[in-house]
Amino acid sequence: MEPVIETFESRKKHMCVKGEGLSIPVCDKASLPGTVTQRTCVFGGARIVLMPITDSIHLVHGPIGCAACTWDIRGSKSSREELYKKGCSTDLQEKDIVFGGEKKLFETVLELYNIYKPGAIFVYATCVSGVIGDDIKAVCKKSEDLTGCRVIPVQSEGFQDHNKTKGHWIGGDALLDYVIGTKEPEETTPFDINIVGEFNVAGDLWGIKPLLEEMGVNIISTISGDSHADEIAQAHRAKLNIVQCQKSSNYVARKMEKKYGIPFIKVNFFGLEQTTNSLREIADFFGDEEMIDRTEKIIERELMGVEDETQEYRERLEGKTVALYVGGNKAWSLVRAFEEVGMDVMMSGTKNGIKEDYERIKETVRDGTIIVDDANSTELARLLKKYKPNLLISGAKEKYISLKLGIPFCDFNHDRISAFAGFKGFVSFAKEVDASVSSPVFNLASKTLSKVSKTPKVGGDENAS
Amino acid sequence: MHHDKKFAVVNPSKMCQPMGAVQALLGVKNTMPLIHGSQGCSTYMRFQLIRHFREPIEVASTSMNEKTVIYGGEFNLMKALKNITEKQSPDMIVVTSSCLTETIGDDMAGIIEKFKDANLDNELPVIIPVSTPSYVESHVEGYNRTIKALVEHLATPSVPNGKINIITGNISPADCKQVKDLLYQLNCDSIILTDTSENLDAPLTEETLSLYNEGTSIEEIEDTANSLGTISLSKHVDSAAIFLEKKFGVKSISGPLPLGFENTDQFVTSVCELGDLEIPESVEKDRGRLLDAMVDAHSYNFHRKVAIFGDPDFVSGMTRFTSELGMIPSVVCTGTESERFTEDVKLISKEKGINPVILAGGDLFDMHQAIKKAGADILIGNAYGASTAKEENIPLLRVGFPIFDRLGAQRISVLGYKGSIEFVDKITNTLLDFYYDEAGYEIVDEKTEEILREEGDEGFEEDFMSKEEI
Ligand code: SF4
Repeated sequence: MEPVIETFESRKKHMCVKGEGLSIPVCDKASLPGTVTQRTCVFGGARIVLMPITDSIHLVHGPIGCAACTWDIRGSKSSREELYKKGCSTDLQEKDIVFGGEKKLFETVLELYNIYKPGAIFVYATCVSGVIGDDIKAVCKKSEDLTGCRVIPVQSEGFQDHNKTKGHWIGGDALLDYVIGTKEPEETTPFDINIVGEFNVAGDLWGIKPLLEEMGVNIISTISGDSHADEIAQAHRAKLNIVQCQKSSNYVARKMEKKYGIPFIKVNFFGLEQTTNSLREIADFFGDEEMIDRTEKIIERELMGVEDETQEYRERLEGKTVALYVGGNKAWSLVRAFEEVGMDVMMSGTKNGIKEDYERIKETVRDGTIIVDDANSTELARLLKKYKPNLLISGAKEKYISLKLGIPFCDFNHDRISAFAGFKGFVSFAKEVDASVSSPVFNLASKTLSKVSKTPKVGGDENAS
Repeated sequence: MHHDKKFAVVNPSKMCQPMGAVQALLGVKNTMPLIHGSQGCSTYMRFQLIRHFREPIEVASTSMNEKTVIYGGEFNLMKALKNITEKQSPDMIVVTSSCLTETIGDDMAGIIEKFKDANLDNELPVIIPVSTPSYVESHVEGYNRTIKALVEHLATPSVPNGKINIITGNISPADCKQVKDLLYQLNCDSIILTDTSENLDAPLTEETLSLYNEGTSIEEIEDTANSLGTISLSKHVDSAAIFLEKKFGVKSISGPLPLGFENTDQFVTSVCELGDLEIPESVEKDRGRLLDAMVDAHSYNFHRKVAIFGDPDFVSGMTRFTSELGMIPSVVCTGTESERFTEDVKLISKEKGINPVILAGGDLFDMHQAIKKAGADILIGNAYGASTAKEENIPLLRVGFPIFDRLGAQRISVLGYKGSIEFVDKITNTLLDFYYDEAGYEIVDEKTEEILREEGDEGFEEDFMSKEEI
């Protein structure tokens, strides 16, 4: 079988085409040393699922580096506190490495508590705090006893695993072990739910929440977008969990099912059909006739405008191709939404997919779609050059690889600027995709003035060498 | 409310050593930076660099994990060197350590020797290790150590070349270009350590996806031993210069960063003295233009309070420059602990009769507290200052690293006479946008307005007239 692109022998099986030979790519392997991997670490994985808890302090126990490039990077929006955006670190120094950092951690926690009186303090372990063997659990316990504020250890030593999915689980464990079930709600209704795996990037949650509330569902907590620690503490009283980002959050939902008997359903609010189905499934779950009625009315009303509002975009996007290379969930959850704007998903891949993710992708995409696991930057560039999609969907690190090749790009990750979830979100989605795919600047991209394309020299150059 | 904060860092104003190392290496031709550590660090650094420069940036990682940590990093580092050599065939691989591999005590130099021994028959790139533990000092020191390592490994004496070495420190590609242009005007041959001007502000072509084919070459670095002298624009990155002076007698001059009027004068003087050069008329003219710009702007800038944060030499340079403009630096903050910085600012303060709060090793929380007390009309620094500026309702003039929330960070220049002119215009226009109305009148709060009204319409009339005449 012809390889999808040229690369290291050991990497070839990480790519495949649906319907030919390998059914899913080899995945969940450590990145090759020496390649430019697009992956982050376990600490990053944990931080990303917990950071949207807005009333909490997120304290990174390690040298400044771990915090310095990761604070305030997730585009999670807040309707209330801004505390979660602070970049807090114990800034470990050489002497702490030698003598241990527990004392410093303890003092730092107390200090932060005194300054901010937060809803909770999450303490993240990093590579170094792991190697020097700091017992952050003990320190958290001690400071919690002293302050009465939740101080939660997150055992996220970065090097534990090559896959940040492990970090998502560790983040989830922190909530399961220390937050969920620690407070009783004042009131309960028969329709209490949690929205799990919704991080309110660009305000996605706000496209979903009003719909659910209008249906008559009572949202106890969101795990973890735009949430407070206190709300998550009451999550165990829900009658249902709905899981949006299944990549990061199936784990939490499964555990909650086991521990508290809360059933969960997988939902997807990207795209019209998916949003409609998700709302119906929730209503069906409760089986309440009035709610089912209300839901149908909402769907009818919301769908009405969307067709007109997106027509112009759909006309321009019809038949264009798109490649997805994302963190996980979006590798399948966005496929239908793209089909609804008339586009063809020709490639889908993730950086950290595990087997179940690729099964999921395979179910969703059509035959002939390329499926890729953990493509490093050279591989990604080769894929783009060879298959020339009209659009790449990926994160900030891939953006300029794509743009330099003259391939339009949309960031659906940290730097996303508009909310895409729900019906209104779909309109923004179509608009933003169109803004990239249809921009005239890309038609100019390959043109050079002279026959021989040379990069012009700057003034000082002749002189400099 | 004010709180004592001794232990916690809240909103850091510094990054770690490996980041500084990578910043330095982005200006070296056909070179692959390799971070020996877990993969997270290199990915986060790339993320930060990419969103600032808006260019693809390659940093390889040895991708250590729990198992490899237990047995040491030899296997991963050897493997990484092999993979990079085979697939990318760079001229040079610079291996920087990280907190992880420093803590477990990997002997990078030893492993590299082993790799070389195992590959005697193969042609290998130059491989240089740099020790950059993240838990010591900051990115500024990482930059410093990296340049030093390059020079230590490569500088080879041969015949005098009549050139001047310039260690730039972490400046924008546009500023690197400003410095090169100024040297060109002065007719000065130079070796730039390191030259990011092309690599980090590249045209839209595919070529930018492979390793950089512009920037400082290995041959140039070798040749630094034969230069007339070395000028370190940033005082905090002069270790390589001191090394060259001690070992090869290449004279070392540390700073100041040619930012603003007096500092650029000093830089030009240093260059001309070292190279025995005349100051050409074009440089005199640019100097005159800067003065002209400063005079044009003076009434808007005068006695405006300014808070500044960023890398130490940038902050001290900016402290001087804003003082030259007649502004009052009220808070100056750098994340790096540095005596040199504090001394510099104190000296400037004495000379200029200002008395800013000096934070060396401070974070943005400390800076914000200080601004609340000392006041500021404008904040100069990177994108992380945005929330402070918003809370204090003052404008943020974005200069430094990182700037991810506005376009064109790679094209911001403040160095040399020309960069300084750009800066004067920009800061003044920012003040005009913020504190003056569309007709150019200062916006006053209601109370002052009342007093003015009570003083009668005459004053207003006069003011109006003079405005019209202009
Ligand atoms: S040191 Fe470890 S925990 Fe910190 S950013 Fe790097 S990989 Fe992640």
